[in-house]
Amino acid sequence: MTDGEKVFNKNILIAVDDSENARRAVSYVAQLLGGVGGFKVTILHVIPEAEEDYFSSSTERDEWLNQYKQKMRAVLEDCRQILIGAGFAPEDVSVRSPLRYCPSMAECILSERDELEYDTIVLGRQGLSRSEEFLFGSVSSKIVTHARNCTVWVVE
Amino acid sequence: MVTTLYEESLRKMASRWLPPGHDSTPFRIHRDTTDFFGVEYGDIVDLGGRPYLIRHNAKEGRFGLDDEVKHWVKRAIDLTNGQHKIIKLVFHEKFKAHVGGIEFECFRSPRKEARILDLVAGHKNFMHGFSVQDEKQNLVRVLDFIYGLPLSRYLENLDSDHQSYFFDQFPDILNQFMECIRAIQFIHNHGEKHGDIRRDHILVDRQNGHYRWIDFDFNYRHRENIYGYDLFGLGNVLVFLVGKGDVLLQDLHKRGHPAMSTLREEDRNIVFHHRIVNLKKVYPYIPDSLNQILLHFSKGANRFYGTTGELLEDLEAFPKQ
Repeated sequence: MTDGEKVFNKNILIAVDDSENARRAVSYVAQLLGGVGGFKVTILHVIPEAEEDYFSSSTERDEWLNQYKQKMRAVLEDCRQILIGAGFAPEDVSVRSPLRYCPSMAECILSERDELEYDTIVLGRQGLSRSEEFLFGSVSSKIVTHARNCTVWVVE
Repeated sequence: MVTTLYEESLRKMASRWLPPGHDSTPFRIHRDTTDFFGVEYGDIVDLGGRPYLIRHNAKEGRFGLDDEVKHWVKRAIDLTNGQHKIIKLVFHEKFKAHVGGIEFECFRSPRKEARILDLVAGHKNFMHGFSVQDEKQNLVRVLDFIYGLPLSRYLENLDSDHQSYFFDQFPDILNQFMECIRAIQFIHNHGEKHGDIRRDHILVDRQNGHYRWIDFDFNYRHRENIYGYDLFGLGNVLVFLVGKGDVLLQDLHKRGHPAMSTLREEDRNIVFHHRIVNLKKVYPYIPDSLNQILLHFSKGANRFYGTTGELLEDLEAFPKQ
């Protein structure tokens, strides 16, 4: 190592949702680093605050949120087991699912990274067409464009 | 007895608009508008003590209604002052929309429209109105009626060839449309989407010539780019205005237009593939600087506009050249 060279930590943040692409990102890390030791992984799913406008009442919104949280708890646990099954020590794999106001998921993920000091972010590519990316934007493209002081792995 | 006196006074106020012979028909007065199908011609909707005489359901190119009767949107008269109003009753609707084969989730939100009405009160480029709860807490919107044509129809009515239009009328139309983009920038800056930007959702106000956005209750579940769909809508309207209508591939083909030999896949609209966006190939006098802006909405685009500010910055540079 030369003087002034950045020292990267071995903390990895895997951002997931309930898609197959996210699961592939978790499997990639499992295969690449499972059993290597020294790495700490956090599996992150930011729960976007439910848009008030979408629901006709606050009861409907709360029900939706509870179901969503339950679904994502299962997804996160499933991802955690993939990593443990590949040789990660259980204490080195944590899950996190903060509820945040999230007009941009990419910005929320990057903000989580800043707070938690991970030098590597891993996420799955959504596989959007150009038209879809044009209309609705792409989380992975935005993270790749805006991430600073960290490395981004986008898993195909 | 109180009800009778009230009805008598309503009848007096409404007599101007009621057909002869209506005198003997009792009014139906709605203070709960949950069942909007039940609110019909000649009924009274009483909102916070203010009576509105219902005329008919809105339709036909007003408020983007496209021939379809919208039973929750009523034309009405405010009986206290005789002003024409549009009354939008609460209709929670969720559905999957498809644009260019892409599916996304849409919904109507009375709350969103009510918030935006408050936000844009007095703004010259928006419809105006207010929201009020009926006795069952339905958030009803009472809108000022705008006399004028949708921008799409206004353009269709212009009787000139494209070149004359482009040099004589388009500069003013573009300036007005840029005001509309600034208006959308204003609501974006306040965290609101329009949600349904279309050429027929701008009315050209006959009284003052202002272009005014209508219909804010539509919403979509955004993904990464919260305003991406609004920007797409603005791009489509811009291309429509530059082209004096949609320039369709099949029309050019039918007419044997010389541009057919030079048009490429990347010259088409990024979502609606039958529309041409690279209009300079059809109308060569369109300046490069303007055409380059249009190309941001083409299949060949290298870069998309991320904000209304970016689009405006390029448009503001165009007229100076």
